[in-house]
Amino acid sequence: MNTIYASLLGLAGSFILGTIIAVFRITGSKPLNWFGTAYVEFFRNIPLLLVVFLFYLGLPSLGVTLNGFVSGTMGLAVYTSSFIAEAIRAGIMAVPPGQTEAARSSGLSYVQTMIHVILPQAIKLVIPPLSNQFINLVKNSSILSIVAGFDLMYYGDVIATDTFDTINTYLFVAMFYLILTLPLSYGSRVLERKLARHD
Amino acid sequence: MGQKEGLKLIHFHQVEKHYGHFHVLKNIELTVEEGEVVVVVGPSGSGKSTMLRCINRLETITSGELTVNGIQVNDRKVDINQVRRNIGMVFQHFNLYPHMKVIDNITLAPVKVLGTSKQEAADTAMYYLEKVGIADKAKAYPSQLSGGQQQRVAIARGLAMKPKIMLFDEPTSALDPEMVGEVLDVMKALAREGMTMVVVTHEMGFAREVADRVVFMDQGQILEESVPEEFFGNPQEERLKTFLGRLLSH
Repeated sequence: MNTIYASLLGLAGSFILGTIIAVFRITGSKPLNWFGTAYVEFFRNIPLLLVVFLFYLGLPSLGVTLNGFVSGTMGLAVYTSSFIAEAIRAGIMAVPPGQTEAARSSGLSYVQTMIHVILPQAIKLVIPPLSNQFINLVKNSSILSIVAGFDLMYYGDVIATDTFDTINTYLFVAMFYLILTLPLSYGSRVLERKLARHD
Repeated sequence: MGQKEGLKLIHFHQVEKHYGHFHVLKNIELTVEEGEVVVVVGPSGSGKSTMLRCINRLETITSGELTVNGIQVNDRKVDINQVRRNIGMVFQHFNLYPHMKVIDNITLAPVKVLGTSKQEAADTAMYYLEKVGIADKAKAYPSQLSGGQQQRVAIARGLAMKPKIMLFDEPTSALDPEMVGEVLDVMKALAREGMTMVVVTHEMGFAREVADRVVFMDQGQILEESVPEEFFGNPQEERLKTFLGRLLSH
């Protein structure tokens, strides 16, 4: 069950974070650009395992102690968000500048323009790479097993060591991951088709 | 056709604009009064669209003074969104929001910028759609409309903010020839109702029929500015004569 929770939370978290970082990277503000770039380059260029350790082992030294599930999910969301930010940034760049001009000239603020005009179009353009990232996220949630996140992989390990029937146990675990990811693949294809209707 | 006595809505004074080393606008002097229709013509690259886009600060000016409705557009302290809500703009490529229905294209700014209720904004949108003759397309998506219909929606979208000024940036240049008329008709009706309009266009017929004044730009300068009869009947500048001559020889 924790795999599903971690995936859903990670999905939502990484999507929101990734969108914000993507917008940071393309705004006119230099400090925000810098922060966005630093964020992306840092988190996407170190292994997921280390990002999760950063939250699991690093935060306690700052006085914040989180359990394996929470820190694992946070690490997962932050790590994935760096990839999502890049995908969404590419999507934003692909929206014609006339869209921004029309929205801004009607009096909408920068943020309103992003939320109502640019991001809906950008996200539609990047559904295929986004669904890739989300599938990766579900699979990567197996990292929780290392920080006692009590996820699918964790119980797989427990059962495998208890019963010594490793191959069958892990096959069973793999099947569960497929049950989670295949609908995601299918869903993204349906969404893509549905949103493409008005182009 | 005499000059209308009215409030100076748009005023350019010694306006200069540079893009790097390129001098796009040179010493622009232009005043548009309330209720006036000013048509700007000139060869491609003459700076006419740039000048238009300065009015709502889609482009910034390098120096000089530009006031709209008494407000310095390029003053950093000015809330540009406040200025822009009084200026409708229609683009060459319509720039409708493809992910929204026609009606939502029109209600977005009134709801988000003016805080109009959704119902009231929808009623206003329908009123203007009626006016531009495509109320039956309210629930359609932009991609389902012809170019002429899309541009009429764009005009309705601009009007729904009840602006003081409407800017048109080559509104018929991207249209198939048979659709130019329907858009120009809407613009003519608007002009007759007293809307203040600045129109960049290649449609000389429109300029002749609707404009209070016609402005000729070339290489970033305003070379001639006069009432249509003078402008077309008795052009002074050599370059304007050549320009008009080229148009007529087609």
